Amino acid sequence: MDQDRKTYKLVRLLTGGVTPVVLAAALLVFARLYDGSWEPGPQAAGICRELIEGTTEGRQALFGSCWVAPLPVLFYLPFAWLLPEPAAGLAAFFVAWLFVFWAVREAVKATGQSGWRIVLAQAAIAAMMGVSGRPQALQISTALTAGLVLLAAAALADWAAYRRLRDVVAAGASGAFLLLCGFPVFGPAGLAVGLVPFAACGDRESRARFQAWMLLGWLPLVYTVGVWVLLNRLILGDPLFFVRSLGHLVPHASLFLLGLLLPALALLPALAVTWACDARARRTMAGMAGPAAASAILISFAVALMVYAKVMDAFGTGWSTVTLHVCALVVLMIAMARLRQPIYRLAGSLGLFVWLSTFWFGGVAREVASPAVHEDVCQSVESYVNARTPYGRVFVVGYAGLDLLRGYAGERLVPNLDLHIGSLRRAYKGQNLYVLVPDPKGAVRAESVFWKYPDIYELGCDRLLFAETFGAWRLFEVVTAPTQEQLDEWKKAR
Amino acid sequence: MSVVNEQQETPQKTAASVDPLELSHRRPDWSASQPMTRTQKIVTVALLVALAVAFAFFPQKTAQVLIAVCTFFYVVMTLYKFIVIRASLSPNAILRFSAAEIAGQEPREWPLFSILVPMYKEPETVKQMVASLAAMDYPADKKDVQILLEADDAVTLAAARSLTMPPGFRVTEIPESFPRTKPKACNIGLHLAKGEYLVIYDAEDLPEKDQLKKAVLAFETSPANVACIQSRLNYYNPRQNILTRWFTAEYSAWFDLQLPGLAALGAVIPLGGTSNHFKTRILQELMGWDAYNVTEDCDLGVRLGRAGYTTRMLETTTWEEACSVFKFWIKQRTRWQKGYIQTWFVHMRDPLKLIKELGFVNFLHYHLLIGGVTFSVLVNPVFWLMALVWFVFRPEGVAQLFPGPVFAAGAVCLFLGNFVFVYINLLGCCKRKNDDLMWWALLTPVYWMMMSYSGWRAFIQFFRDPFVWEKTQHGMVKKQGGRPAAHT
Repeated sequence: MDQDRKTYKLVRLLTGGVTPVVLAAALLVFARLYDGSWEPGPQAAGICRELIEGTTEGRQALFGSCWVAPLPVLFYLPFAWLLPEPAAGLAAFFVAWLFVFWAVREAVKATGQSGWRIVLAQAAIAAMMGVSGRPQALQISTALTAGLVLLAAAALADWAAYRRLRDVVAAGASGAFLLLCGFPVFGPAGLAVGLVPFAACGDRESRARFQAWMLLGWLPLVYTVGVWVLLNRLILGDPLFFVRSLGHLVPHASLFLLGLLLPALALLPALAVTWACDARARRTMAGMAGPAAASAILISFAVALMVYAKVMDAFGTGWSTVTLHVCALVVLMIAMARLRQPIYRLAGSLGLFVWLSTFWFGGVAREVASPAVHEDVCQSVESYVNARTPYGRVFVVGYAGLDLLRGYAGERLVPNLDLHIGSLRRAYKGQNLYVLVPDPKGAVRAESVFWKYPDIYELGCDRLLFAETFGAWRLFEVVTAPTQEQLDEWKKAR
Repeated sequence: MSVVNEQQETPQKTAASVDPLELSHRRPDWSASQPMTRTQKIVTVALLVALAVAFAFFPQKTAQVLIAVCTFFYVVMTLYKFIVIRASLSPNAILRFSAAEIAGQEPREWPLFSILVPMYKEPETVKQMVASLAAMDYPADKKDVQILLEADDAVTLAAARSLTMPPGFRVTEIPESFPRTKPKACNIGLHLAKGEYLVIYDAEDLPEKDQLKKAVLAFETSPANVACIQSRLNYYNPRQNILTRWFTAEYSAWFDLQLPGLAALGAVIPLGGTSNHFKTRILQELMGWDAYNVTEDCDLGVRLGRAGYTTRMLETTTWEEACSVFKFWIKQRTRWQKGYIQTWFVHMRDPLKLIKELGFVNFLHYHLLIGGVTFSVLVNPVFWLMALVWFVFRPEGVAQLFPGPVFAAGAVCLFLGNFVFVYINLLGCCKRKNDDLMWWALLTPVYWMMMSYSGWRAFIQFFRDPFVWEKTQHGMVKKQGGRPAAHT
């Protein structure tokens, strides 16, 4: 008995402590040497800076877009508050990957497999991230998303297989947190949670308690949506502000949303397998659907994630597909690690899987603008404005603007998340106002400024006149009538 | 903490010869007979003065600091609840014995089990209580049941005397004296108890029939330092009205999730009022209950922890009557919350000694469970009001009280923390298979407002009438035409 307990403690230390720490540290070193992937994401640090200063822009940025999700920002916030950059980014990166390896442990241990399988699965995932060749795969937001997808998928699978109350709670909670990881995972989150009550329908007793599973499983997600909508209403004045960009990003939004339902079809066969396993278990008095049902759910979930990535790509919103691919591969790896097979065979198959995954990812590295470029833009804009007026104020729009201003210490350039030219003119009477707009490429297209003023980058808009181009940014001057004081000054000058 | 009860067992021991206030006489420092010590009073006044001065000179900064402290507290409480609930999933969170395991024990000699049933002015429940205890699956000659009745409670005494008591049942008359509390009656019962083990039931309780046997097995299979086995409590009238629905949801979460979680963590457990099974000798060593503490059970749980003993949870249920009338519910909750305040002050007389005896982790458990719960019901209304004002009027003043990180943490607590607490109640209902109550549990925030009202009432009463025992009114189910369900 004592020996068992000692072994249990050792395994727990190995799988829950030593291995995750070593692997997360290894990934950190790798990412640092490789390309700086410890970065908390293009905008999170900028949003955190505003949040720490308590500005309205910070609050707007936190909840104002389904593409720049709140969870990675909230995750990064304590680090940004307590540590200077880049230590904050490094620490957040390390903790985010610790979370992934902990999630792997939770996902595999539910089957009662030995500790070495967990270690192998953790190592295989670290290796896959290392050889993926895509810096985005290592980012904090990807790590958080992958960890939550893993927890949600494993919980759904375990619920279908073993029907433990804790799995409903885990599926519901991880699904709700997953939703906060951004639009690309809205679908997977909905699937993981939506299927909870149905996965239990194969069993008569569980079927009778459908409303209980529905309430426990769906409530966290529904509540999260409700809170997001409420905060948009309170902070931005429009309850659906965070999803408004969808209509602008894709030409046929309804077709796009319909397309997002497609991956759900991938889970229907798994559901059928679960019910069949339940029926067989009832006949054989085995009680539960068992591991076959769990495997079916996990594999189908991975397929669904891949289909999501395809749909996003097809509609031109595929800038987050690397994250979806990472999630799919991680779920498949876990499905493999949960199978009952000799340890050497598992090691071999995981190794093969890692090697194959390099073909899957094999793309080009994402371009990351260096801080030096950001500083150049800020200084050039500031010099340009200072040369014309001592009262100038430049509103740098959107999340890209927050990123641009990360290292900026001056007062001339200020972030703006919700551009209202009329309001700016009223609020800053007597000042010369400028608006700095980013090039609407890739994810930047989702910025609110582009669904409000679709041609702003090319043509400006009402009361905005083009002034100058600074790299990928364009500066526009807000046309305002001079105040009486300004007119008096000019008269005097004449 | 080491205590030796020097009282000798004498065959002539009677209720009149027992000192029910032994704890307060021999160890006044453990008793709530003095609600606050002089040092505590001085520290409290000094803190209030410091706060007033700070508000006078730096109102905004002081408010910001206070809000930051409260927000930090909310974050900690949310995380703590999460940890406790997660621990409740552990296999060792609760002791389980199947019917087969119990049957496998036979034939065997079961130990003598003392049962104390304190009652006051509840003549209508005597008959049901006697029937329920007589029906328990435990050898009749091994039951030592004492019905504890106050000497001035003529109606209940008459009702009890009119019944033909089964073997092993007796009525113990409690002499009139101050304070007139349940623990005082129980202390007399404890001194007259003959059993190796002892349990307390309330008059309206319906324990599961095999509970005593399960408790014996639990003691026999647990380490020697397990001094108490707490059964789970739940209600037999959950659907009587909305109040009983909420109360049932709360009790389900407390006894089916939170207490097992605490037991799994090895934490100090604030015992439930009834169905806690003790080793009689240890309870006598600890001089029983504090007659001045209105939640003597909670206090005893802490004293057990201080003396190096632990409590385990047992998978068996005692069905009680949920208070169904708002007025009585407020009174009952006021008493509970006042008792928590009493208990917190009693054990904080010497914090260093408390850390030494409980250990640091249990010291934190103690603060979060006993101080934290009370603190939260007191400060909740302030934060609700601020949230409401901010949502409706958006005044800049409120926003300024929440600097950046505090705002973020506060928002997380508001939206996540409150949800977690509601969700725990839902889980409790689900675990009890009360699926229909889950919808009602969604309205738990209204119930919290009632708790805050009773919390403030308790806080005021702690200073004005610390020993007043607001007795819970039972028998409302029958009065309103309901009938307890049959339980096995």
